Amino acid sequence: MKFVFDLDGTITSQETLPLIASHFKIEAEISELTRETIQGNIPFVESFIRRVHILGDLPVDQIDRLLGEVELYPNLLKFIKENINSCVIATGNLDCWVKTLVEKVGCKAFTSTAKVKNNKVEKIEKILKKEDVVKHYQKMGETVVFVGDGNNDVEAMRIADISIAVGTTHHPANSILPFTDYLIFNEKSLCLQLNQLL
Amino acid sequence: MSAAKSIIISCAGVGSRLGLGQTKALVKINDRTIIAWQLELFKDIEDVRIVIGYQAKEVVKEVLKHRKDVIFVYNHEYYSTKTGASFYLGCRHGNEYAIEWDGDLLVHPDDVKKLLQEPGEFIGYSEITSDEAVYVQTDKQGNVLAFSWESGQYEWTGPACIKRDKVVFTKGNVFEQIEPHLPIKGVKIRAYDIDTYDDYKRVSEFVKSW
Repeated sequence: MKFVFDLDGTITSQETLPLIASHFKIEAEISELTRETIQGNIPFVESFIRRVHILGDLPVDQIDRLLGEVELYPNLLKFIKENINSCVIATGNLDCWVKTLVEKVGCKAFTSTAKVKNNKVEKIEKILKKEDVVKHYQKMGETVVFVGDGNNDVEAMRIADISIAVGTTHHPANSILPFTDYLIFNEKSLCLQLNQLL
Repeated sequence: MSAAKSIIISCAGVGSRLGLGQTKALVKINDRTIIAWQLELFKDIEDVRIVIGYQAKEVVKEVLKHRKDVIFVYNHEYYSTKTGASFYLGCRHGNEYAIEWDGDLLVHPDDVKKLLQEPGEFIGYSEITSDEAVYVQTDKQGNVLAFSWESGQYEWTGPACIKRDKVVFTKGNVFEQIEPHLPIKGVKIRAYDIDTYDDYKRVSEFVKSW
């Protein structure tokens, strides 16, 4: 059994993008992009590239520090730490931005990657497709449980053996619901279900 | 109740026989939705699972007004399956014992308490009241020996409690999943399900006495 977790709003109890936007006072640009993405006017990959264009010039170490302090769901973190070899993170976030955060969670993480130069993002190297993480473990013979909440989780949730949509931080994207086995709005209930699946 | 039991409330169906144009969980009995009545009865139960399908969004919205810590389970094939499929999906990753509870079933609160304290497997049955009933045949001790569309001493409205691992997938009814495991201890309760408009009127009177 392999549990694959989305990061933003699933393991973290705050969305990281608005946090960065607020810290660096670029809310207007980011919220416009987020709104257009949520409405489906901009596809995810394009949205991600645009996001990196907006954030790429910001100091990488400051973003990493900021996200390292983001709040996590304590019971979920406990579950992950107790089952560290069965849990992985799949996040579209860049490796350089979430380095400290994923170290804090403690399990293996799959991220998008970027080349960093002079403490800035110089170039996106790879944009993570979360479904590739699911396929990777399925090929190894694992039953894969995917836990997520966003539009960019759709493909991973469609092919996962068991998909859990979480609404602990915000209501999950409507696009994932047709592929969802479980819909859970409470951290304790999520942990109850994860333990039952072990 | 033993911590090792999950309650599975099946609310995925269209509710077409009732003719009120909505899934039965959302039908109001004396100004309160059926799912709200049920959630009140299960307020002390940790593992409540609600199987959703038709009008899933509306059911979720209604449930969250009353309780946030339920686990919603999707039956995406609700239109081509019956309650057996919902029960299977609802219990397959739940606790060792699963209590099946239809989304249109109301049981007197005193009898709910009795059922929740009942150890192991059981089948709840009641006096015959529905227009279209599934009957149960019992022995002298009240154990359920058989289900029947034709005749029986009592009506089976649900609920039933059975070990999760015995529940296999079916597109049919819950009693067909339970049938191979009979006899099972029976518990007589005051229960009503709402299949037709006449049932609906009867239940509206019934809950006034709670």
